[in-house]
Amino acid sequence: MLCNEAQRVQAYFDGELESGESVVIEQHLVHCGACAALIRDLQSTRDALREQVSYYAASDRLRGRVMQSIGGESAPQPKRRLLSDRHFWWGIGAGFAPAAIAAALLVTVNTPASTDQMAADLLNAHLRSLVSNHLIDVASSDQHTVKPWFAGHADVSPPAVDFPQSDYRLVGGRVDYVNGHRAAVVVYRHGAHVINVFAWPGDAEAAPQLTTHNGYHIACWRSGDLESCAVSDTAIDELLALTQLLKNSQG
Amino acid sequence: MDEKRRKFEMQALPHLDAAYNFARWLTRSPVEAEDIVQEAMLRAFRSFDGFRGTDVKPWLLTIVRNCFITSHDRKPDLPVSEADGADPAFTDAAPDPEAVAISADHVRKLNLLVATIPGEFREVLILREMEDLSYRDIARITGTPIGTVMSRLARARAMLKEAWLDRVEGARNAVQ
Ligand SMILES: [Zn+2]
Repeated sequence: MLCNEAQRVQAYFDGELESGESVVIEQHLVHCGACAALIRDLQSTRDALREQVSYYAASDRLRGRVMQSIGGESAPQPKRRLLSDRHFWWGIGAGFAPAAIAAALLVTVNTPASTDQMAADLLNAHLRSLVSNHLIDVASSDQHTVKPWFAGHADVSPPAVDFPQSDYRLVGGRVDYVNGHRAAVVVYRHGAHVINVFAWPGDAEAAPQLTTHNGYHIACWRSGDLESCAVSDTAIDELLALTQLLKNSQG
Repeated sequence: MDEKRRKFEMQALPHLDAAYNFARWLTRSPVEAEDIVQEAMLRAFRSFDGFRGTDVKPWLLTIVRNCFITSHDRKPDLPVSEADGADPAFTDAAPDPEAVAISADHVRKLNLLVATIPGEFREVLILREMEDLSYRDIARITGTPIGTVMSRLARARAMLKEAWLDRVEGARNAVQ
Protein backbone atom coordinates (compact mmCIF):
# COMPACT_ATOMS: atom_id res chain seq x y z
CA MET A 1 0.00 0.00 0.00
CA LEU A 2 2.90 2.38 0.71
CA CYS A 3 4.38 3.94 -2.39
CA ASN A 4 8.17 3.75 -2.72
CA GLU A 5 8.27 7.54 -2.58
CA ALA A 6 6.86 7.43 0.98
CA GLN A 7 10.12 8.36 2.67
CA ARG A 8 10.69 11.33 0.39
CA VAL A 9 7.09 12.40 0.95
CA GLN A 10 7.74 12.37 4.69
CA ALA A 11 10.95 14.39 4.19
CA TYR A 12 8.95 16.85 2.08
CA PHE A 13 6.36 17.10 4.85
CA ASP A 14 9.14 17.79 7.38
CA GLY A 15 10.63 20.52 5.22
CA GLU A 16 13.82 18.55 4.67
CA LEU A 17 13.92 18.57 0.86
CA GLU A 18 15.75 20.97 -1.43
CA SER A 19 13.38 23.09 -3.51
CA GLY A 20 14.08 21.09 -6.70
CA GLU A 21 13.17 17.82 -4.99
CA SER A 22 10.12 19.44 -3.42
CA VAL A 23 8.75 20.26 -6.86
CA VAL A 24 9.15 16.62 -7.91
CA ILE A 25 7.24 15.44 -4.83
CA GLU A 26 4.53 18.04 -5.27
CA GLN A 27 3.96 16.75 -8.81
CA HIS A 28 3.99 13.18 -7.52
CA LEU A 29 1.33 14.01 -4.91
CA VAL A 30 -1.04 15.22 -7.60
CA HIS A 31 -1.45 11.76 -9.11
CA CYS A 32 -0.48 9.36 -6.29
CA GLY A 33 -3.45 8.67 -4.04
CA ALA A 34 -1.41 6.68 -1.51
CA CYS A 35 1.03 9.55 -0.94
CA ALA A 36 -1.74 12.15 -0.81
CA ALA A 37 -3.34 10.04 1.93
CA LEU A 38 0.04 9.73 3.67
CA ILE A 39 0.39 13.52 3.78
CA ARG A 40 -3.05 13.78 5.39
CA ASP A 41 -2.11 11.15 7.99
CA LEU A 42 1.17 12.89 8.75
CA GLN A 43 -0.67 16.16 9.24
CA SER A 44 -3.31 14.68 11.55
CA THR A 45 -0.62 12.91 13.61
CA ARG A 46 1.28 16.18 13.88
CA ASP A 47 -1.84 18.13 14.85
CA ALA A 48 -2.66 15.58 17.54
CA LEU A 49 0.88 15.67 18.94
CA ARG A 50 1.19 19.43 18.92
CA GLU A 51 -2.26 20.30 20.12
CA GLN A 52 -3.48 17.43 22.24
CA VAL A 53 -0.47 15.68 23.73
CA SER A 54 0.99 17.25 26.85
CA TYR A 55 4.05 19.43 26.57
CA TYR A 56 5.54 19.17 30.03
CA ALA A 57 7.08 22.45 31.17
CA ALA A 58 9.67 22.61 33.93
CA SER A 59 8.18 23.50 37.31
CA ASP A 60 9.36 26.55 39.23
CA ARG A 61 10.68 24.12 41.81
CA LEU A 62 12.91 22.41 39.23
CA ARG A 63 14.01 25.80 37.87
CA GLY A 64 14.97 26.76 41.41
CA ARG A 65 16.88 23.53 41.95
CA VAL A 66 18.78 23.98 38.70
CA MET A 67 19.64 27.60 39.42
CA GLN A 68 20.75 26.67 42.87
CA SER A 69 23.06 23.90 41.69
CA ILE A 70 24.57 26.17 39.03
CA GLY A 71 24.94 28.91 41.59
CA GLY A 72 26.70 26.45 43.88
CA GLU A 73 29.16 25.71 41.06
CA SER A 74 30.01 29.26 40.09
CA ALA A 75 29.87 30.83 43.56
CA PRO A 76 31.17 28.30 46.08
CA GLN A 77 30.75 30.72 49.01
CA PRO A 78 27.09 31.82 49.15
CA LYS A 79 26.31 33.61 52.39
CA ARG A 80 23.88 30.98 53.56
CA ARG A 81 24.01 31.94 57.19
CA LEU A 82 22.30 35.20 56.28
CA LEU A 83 19.30 33.47 54.76
CA SER A 84 17.18 34.19 57.76
CA ASP A 85 17.94 37.89 57.73
CA ARG A 86 15.59 39.56 55.29
CA HIS A 87 17.67 42.69 55.14
CA PHE A 88 20.34 40.65 53.49
CA TRP A 89 18.02 40.31 50.51
CA TRP A 90 17.12 43.94 50.34
CA GLY A 91 20.77 44.88 50.37
CA ILE A 92 21.84 42.52 47.63
CA GLY A 93 21.95 45.21 44.98
CA ALA A 94 23.52 45.14 41.60
CA GLY A 95 26.48 42.84 41.89
CA PHE A 96 24.59 39.71 42.80
CA ALA A 97 23.23 37.22 40.30
CA PRO A 98 19.46 37.23 40.00
CA ALA A 99 19.57 33.47 39.60
CA ALA A 100 21.16 33.08 42.99
CA ILE A 101 18.43 35.18 44.52
CA ALA A 102 15.80 33.19 42.66
CA ALA A 103 17.33 29.89 43.65
CA ALA A 104 17.51 30.81 47.29
CA LEU A 105 14.07 32.37 47.35
CA LEU A 106 12.33 29.58 45.52
CA VAL A 107 13.26 27.27 48.32
CA THR A 108 12.16 29.69 51.01
CA VAL A 109 8.98 28.18 52.33
CA ASN A 110 7.90 30.39 55.19
CA THR A 111 6.38 33.62 54.06
CA PRO A 112 4.65 35.77 56.62
CA ALA A 113 0.95 36.41 56.16
CA SER A 114 1.52 40.11 55.54
CA THR A 115 3.82 39.18 52.67
CA ASP A 116 1.05 37.11 51.11
CA GLN A 117 -1.27 40.07 51.50
CA MET A 118 1.24 42.30 49.76
CA ALA A 119 1.67 39.77 46.94
CA ALA A 120 -2.09 39.58 46.48
CA ASP A 121 -2.30 43.36 46.42
CA LEU A 122 0.48 43.69 43.87
CA LEU A 123 -1.11 41.05 41.69
CA ASN A 124 -4.51 42.75 41.90
CA ALA A 125 -3.00 46.10 40.99
CA HIS A 126 -1.23 44.45 38.05
CA LEU A 127 -4.40 42.76 36.79
CA ARG A 128 -6.42 45.93 37.32
CA SER A 129 -3.98 47.83 35.13
CA LEU A 130 -4.43 45.30 32.34
CA VAL A 131 -8.21 45.31 32.28
CA SER A 132 -9.20 48.81 33.28
CA ASN A 133 -7.58 50.90 30.55
CA HIS A 134 -5.55 52.51 33.27
CA LEU A 135 -2.16 51.11 32.44
CA ILE A 136 -0.42 54.42 32.04
CA ASP A 137 -0.98 58.01 33.08
CA VAL A 138 2.00 59.30 31.21
CA ALA A 139 2.80 57.51 27.96
CA SER A 140 6.37 57.85 26.95
CA SER A 141 9.39 55.84 26.04
CA ASP A 142 11.50 58.78 27.10
CA GLN A 143 12.92 58.46 30.59
CA HIS A 144 13.35 62.22 30.73
CA THR A 145 9.57 62.57 30.54
CA VAL A 146 8.50 59.79 32.89
CA LYS A 147 10.81 60.42 35.83
CA PRO A 148 9.99 64.15 36.24
CA TRP A 149 6.29 63.33 35.92
CA PHE A 150 6.55 61.19 39.05
CA ALA A 151 8.10 64.07 40.95
CA GLY A 152 4.81 65.93 40.68
CA HIS A 153 2.45 62.98 41.16
CA ALA A 154 3.96 60.37 43.46
CA ASP A 155 5.83 60.09 46.76
CA VAL A 156 8.88 58.62 45.11
CA SER A 157 10.58 59.13 41.80
CA PRO A 158 11.96 55.75 40.73
CA PRO A 159 14.29 55.41 37.76
CA ALA A 160 12.25 55.10 34.57
CA VAL A 161 15.07 53.88 32.42
CA ASP A 162 14.75 52.79 28.83
CA PHE A 163 17.05 49.94 27.83
CA PRO A 164 17.30 50.27 24.06
CA GLN A 165 19.80 47.40 23.80
CA SER A 166 17.36 45.00 25.46
CA ASP A 167 13.94 43.49 24.77
CA TYR A 168 12.34 45.63 27.46
CA ARG A 169 10.52 48.65 26.16
CA LEU A 170 9.63 51.54 28.45
CA VAL A 171 6.05 52.56 27.70
CA GLY A 172 5.19 54.97 30.49
CA GLY A 173 4.28 55.50 34.10
CA ARG A 174 1.27 55.85 36.37
CA VAL A 175 0.33 56.18 40.03
CA ASP A 176 -1.35 53.23 41.70
CA TYR A 177 -2.21 52.01 45.19
CA VAL A 178 -0.71 48.95 46.83
CA ASN A 179 -1.59 47.91 50.33
CA GLY A 180 -2.77 51.41 51.13
CA HIS A 181 0.40 53.05 49.88
CA ARG A 182 0.68 55.30 46.90
CA ALA A 183 3.12 53.74 44.48
CA ALA A 184 4.87 55.06 41.41
CA VAL A 185 4.61 52.52 38.62
CA VAL A 186 7.00 52.28 35.69
CA VAL A 187 5.52 50.23 32.87
CA TYR A 188 7.54 48.11 30.44
CA ARG A 189 6.56 45.81 27.65
CA HIS A 190 8.44 42.61 26.99
CA GLY A 191 7.07 41.03 23.82
CA ALA A 192 3.36 40.56 24.43
CA HIS A 193 3.76 40.89 28.20
CA VAL A 194 3.29 43.93 30.39
CA ILE A 195 5.68 44.39 33.29
CA ASN A 196 4.58 46.76 36.04
CA VAL A 197 7.38 47.95 38.32
CA PHE A 198 5.88 49.38 41.51
CA ALA A 199 7.95 51.60 43.80
CA TRP A 200 7.19 53.22 47.13
CA PRO A 201 9.17 54.55 50.09
CA GLY A 202 10.94 51.81 52.03
CA ASP A 203 10.38 50.70 55.60
CA ALA A 204 6.75 50.01 54.89
CA GLU A 205 5.08 46.61 54.93
CA ALA A 206 6.97 43.42 54.21
CA ALA A 207 7.10 42.75 50.49
CA PRO A 208 7.54 39.26 49.03
CA GLN A 209 11.01 38.67 47.60
CA LEU A 210 10.02 36.39 44.79
CA THR A 211 6.76 34.60 44.45
CA THR A 212 4.47 33.19 41.79
CA HIS A 213 0.68 33.31 41.86
CA ASN A 214 -1.39 31.84 39.04
CA GLY A 215 1.43 32.22 36.57
CA TYR A 216 2.27 35.79 37.56
CA HIS A 217 5.71 36.40 39.03
CA ILE A 218 6.44 39.06 41.60
CA ALA A 219 10.07 40.02 42.23
CA CYS A 220 10.92 42.65 44.85
CA TRP A 221 14.09 44.34 45.92
CA ARG A 222 15.20 47.32 47.86
CA SER A 223 17.61 49.99 46.82
CA GLY A 224 18.41 52.78 49.26
CA ASP A 225 15.08 53.88 50.68
CA LEU A 226 13.15 52.70 47.65
CA GLU A 227 11.10 49.52 47.72
CA SER A 228 10.48 48.05 44.25
CA CYS A 229 8.38 45.15 42.99
CA ALA A 230 8.16 43.98 39.38
CA VAL A 231 5.05 42.00 38.39
CA SER A 232 4.42 40.13 35.14
CA ASP A 233 3.37 36.89 33.54
CA THR A 234 6.49 36.86 31.39
CA ALA A 235 9.01 34.07 32.08
CA ILE A 236 10.62 34.32 35.48
CA ASP A 237 14.13 34.58 33.98
CA GLU A 238 12.99 37.46 31.81
CA LEU A 239 11.48 39.26 34.76
CA LEU A 240 14.64 38.79 36.82
CA ALA A 241 16.76 40.04 33.93
CA LEU A 242 14.79 43.31 33.96
CA THR A 243 15.07 43.67 37.73
CA GLN A 244 18.82 43.17 37.32
CA LEU A 245 18.98 45.96 34.71
CA LEU A 246 17.02 48.22 37.04
CA LYS A 247 19.23 47.38 40.02
CA ASN A 248 22.30 48.12 37.93
CA SER A 249 20.84 51.48 36.96
CA GLN A 250 20.19 52.26 40.62
CA GLY A 251 23.56 50.94 41.67
CA MET B 1 27.95 38.07 37.90
CA ASP B 2 30.57 35.89 36.35
CA GLU B 3 30.58 35.74 32.58
CA LYS B 4 30.20 31.98 32.16
CA ARG B 5 27.12 31.89 34.30
CA ARG B 6 25.58 34.93 32.62
CA LYS B 7 26.08 33.31 29.21
CA PHE B 8 24.71 30.01 30.43
CA GLU B 9 21.61 31.68 31.87
CA MET B 10 20.99 33.52 28.62
CA GLN B 11 21.70 30.67 26.21
CA ALA B 12 20.93 27.39 27.96
CA LEU B 13 18.32 28.18 30.59
CA PRO B 14 15.67 29.20 28.03
CA HIS B 15 15.71 25.54 26.92
CA LEU B 16 14.88 24.19 30.37
CA ASP B 17 11.29 23.42 29.35
CA ALA B 18 12.51 21.52 26.29
CA ALA B 19 14.97 19.60 28.46
CA TYR B 20 12.26 18.70 30.93
CA ASN B 21 9.68 17.79 28.31
CA PHE B 22 12.20 15.50 26.58
CA ALA B 23 13.27 13.90 29.88
CA ARG B 24 9.64 13.53 30.93
CA TRP B 25 8.80 11.66 27.72
CA LEU B 26 11.95 9.54 27.91
CA THR B 27 11.39 8.50 31.52
CA ARG B 28 7.59 8.80 31.67
CA SER B 29 8.10 9.77 35.30
CA PRO B 30 8.01 13.34 36.62
CA VAL B 31 10.31 12.56 39.55
CA GLU B 32 12.92 10.82 37.45
CA ALA B 33 12.68 13.52 34.77
CA GLU B 34 13.45 16.24 37.30
CA ASP B 35 16.50 14.39 38.60
CA ILE B 36 17.79 13.83 35.08
CA VAL B 37 17.29 17.45 34.07
CA GLN B 38 19.04 18.75 37.16
CA GLU B 39 21.98 16.44 36.53
CA ALA B 40 22.02 17.37 32.83
CA MET B 41 21.96 21.12 33.49
CA LEU B 42 24.82 20.79 35.91
CA ARG B 43 26.86 18.74 33.45
CA ALA B 44 26.02 21.23 30.71
CA PHE B 45 27.16 24.11 32.89
CA ARG B 46 30.43 22.36 33.70
CA SER B 47 31.19 21.70 30.04
CA PHE B 48 29.80 25.03 28.80
CA ASP B 49 33.29 26.51 28.38
CA GLY B 50 34.06 23.80 25.84
CA PHE B 51 30.84 24.36 23.90
CA ARG B 52 31.74 26.09 20.63
CA GLY B 53 28.56 25.69 18.63
CA THR B 54 25.75 28.18 18.26
CA ASP B 55 22.83 25.81 18.63
CA VAL B 56 22.47 25.18 22.33
CA LYS B 57 19.20 23.26 22.28
CA PRO B 58 20.38 20.07 20.47
CA TRP B 59 23.56 20.11 22.53
CA LEU B 60 21.57 20.32 25.77
CA LEU B 61 19.12 17.61 24.70
CA THR B 62 22.06 15.33 23.88
CA ILE B 63 23.26 15.72 27.46
CA VAL B 64 19.74 15.05 28.77
CA ARG B 65 19.58 11.86 26.76
CA ASN B 66 23.03 10.75 27.97
CA CYS B 67 21.98 11.31 31.58
CA PHE B 68 18.83 9.31 30.93
CA ILE B 69 20.80 6.40 29.49
CA THR B 70 23.29 6.47 32.37
CA SER B 71 20.54 6.47 34.97
CA HIS B 72 18.57 3.78 33.16
CA ASP B 73 21.52 1.40 33.06
CA ARG B 74 21.09 1.19 36.81
CA LYS B 75 17.33 0.98 37.00
CA PRO B 76 14.73 -1.35 35.51
CA ASP B 77 12.41 0.21 32.95
CA LEU B 78 9.29 1.62 34.53
CA PRO B 79 6.03 0.04 33.50
CA VAL B 80 3.65 2.41 31.78
CA SER B 81 0.66 3.07 33.95
CA GLU B 82 -2.62 4.85 33.34
CA ALA B 83 -1.09 7.66 35.37
CA ASP B 84 1.08 8.51 32.37
CA GLY B 85 -2.01 9.80 30.69
CA ALA B 86 -3.01 11.93 33.64
CA ASP B 87 -1.62 15.40 33.70
CA PRO B 88 -3.02 17.69 36.37
CA ALA B 89 -1.02 20.60 34.93
CA PHE B 90 -2.86 20.40 31.66
CA THR B 91 -5.74 22.80 31.32
CA ASP B 92 -7.97 23.15 28.33
CA ALA B 93 -9.11 26.54 27.14
CA ALA B 94 -12.57 25.32 26.19
CA PRO B 95 -15.13 26.91 28.52
CA ASP B 96 -17.81 24.22 28.23
CA PRO B 97 -17.24 21.80 31.15
CA GLU B 98 -18.51 18.84 29.18
CA ALA B 99 -16.17 19.65 26.30
CA VAL B 100 -13.34 20.00 28.80
CA ALA B 101 -14.10 16.59 30.29
CA ILE B 102 -14.20 14.90 26.89
CA SER B 103 -11.07 16.62 25.71
CA ALA B 104 -9.19 15.89 28.95
CA ASP B 105 -10.07 12.23 28.50
CA HIS B 106 -8.91 12.41 24.91
CA VAL B 107 -5.62 13.99 25.96
CA ARG B 108 -5.13 11.33 28.62
CA LYS B 109 -5.59 8.57 26.05
CA LEU B 110 -3.32 10.19 23.52
CA ASN B 111 -0.63 10.74 26.16
CA LEU B 112 -0.90 7.09 27.07
CA LEU B 113 -0.58 6.03 23.45
CA VAL B 114 2.56 8.11 22.98
CA ALA B 115 3.97 6.77 26.26
CA THR B 116 3.54 3.18 25.08
CA ILE B 117 5.45 3.66 21.83
CA PRO B 118 8.90 1.99 22.26
CA GLY B 119 11.60 4.41 23.39
CA GLU B 120 13.73 4.54 20.23
CA PHE B 121 10.65 5.53 18.21
CA ARG B 122 9.13 7.76 20.87
CA GLU B 123 12.22 9.94 21.19
CA VAL B 124 12.40 10.83 17.48
CA LEU B 125 8.69 11.61 17.48
CA ILE B 126 9.02 13.99 20.45
CA LEU B 127 12.11 15.70 19.03
CA ARG B 128 10.56 16.16 15.59
CA GLU B 129 6.98 17.09 16.44
CA MET B 130 7.28 18.82 19.81
CA GLU B 131 10.73 20.38 19.55
CA ASP B 132 10.60 20.94 15.79
CA LEU B 133 14.18 19.76 15.32
CA SER B 134 15.72 18.87 11.95
CA TYR B 135 16.68 15.33 10.97
CA ARG B 136 20.32 16.35 11.34
CA ASP B 137 19.81 17.56 14.93
CA ILE B 138 17.80 14.47 15.84
CA ALA B 139 20.54 12.27 14.38
CA ARG B 140 23.11 14.10 16.49
CA ILE B 141 21.06 13.85 19.69
CA THR B 142 20.21 10.18 19.31
CA GLY B 143 23.59 9.18 17.86
CA THR B 144 22.01 7.48 14.84
CA PRO B 145 22.39 8.03 11.07
CA ILE B 146 19.86 10.30 9.35
CA GLY B 147 18.42 7.33 7.43
CA THR B 148 17.63 5.61 10.73
CA VAL B 149 16.01 8.77 12.05
CA MET B 150 13.78 8.89 8.98
CA SER B 151 12.70 5.25 9.18
CA ARG B 152 12.10 5.42 12.96
CA LEU B 153 10.10 8.57 12.52
CA ALA B 154 7.96 6.91 9.86
CA ARG B 155 7.42 3.88 12.11
CA ALA B 156 6.61 6.03 15.13
CA ARG B 157 4.04 8.04 13.19
CA ALA B 158 2.48 4.90 11.77
CA MET B 159 2.31 3.30 15.24
CA LEU B 160 0.62 6.33 16.71
CA LYS B 161 -1.83 6.58 13.85
CA GLU B 162 -2.72 2.88 14.02
CA ALA B 163 -3.09 2.82 17.78
CA TRP B 164 -5.19 5.93 17.64
CA LEU B 165 -7.43 4.57 14.88
CA ASP B 166 -7.85 1.31 16.80
CA ARG B 167 -9.05 3.24 19.80
CA VAL B 168 -11.39 5.45 17.82
CA GLU B 169 -12.82 2.55 15.82
CA GLY B 170 -12.99 0.34 18.90
CA ALA B 171 -15.02 3.01 20.63
CA ARG B 172 -17.23 3.39 17.58
CA ASN B 173 -17.88 -0.35 17.43
CA ALA B 174 -18.67 -0.44 21.13
CA VAL B 175 -21.32 2.25 20.62
CA GLN B 176 -22.99 0.37 17.76
ZN1 LIG C 1 3.35 7.86 -4.08
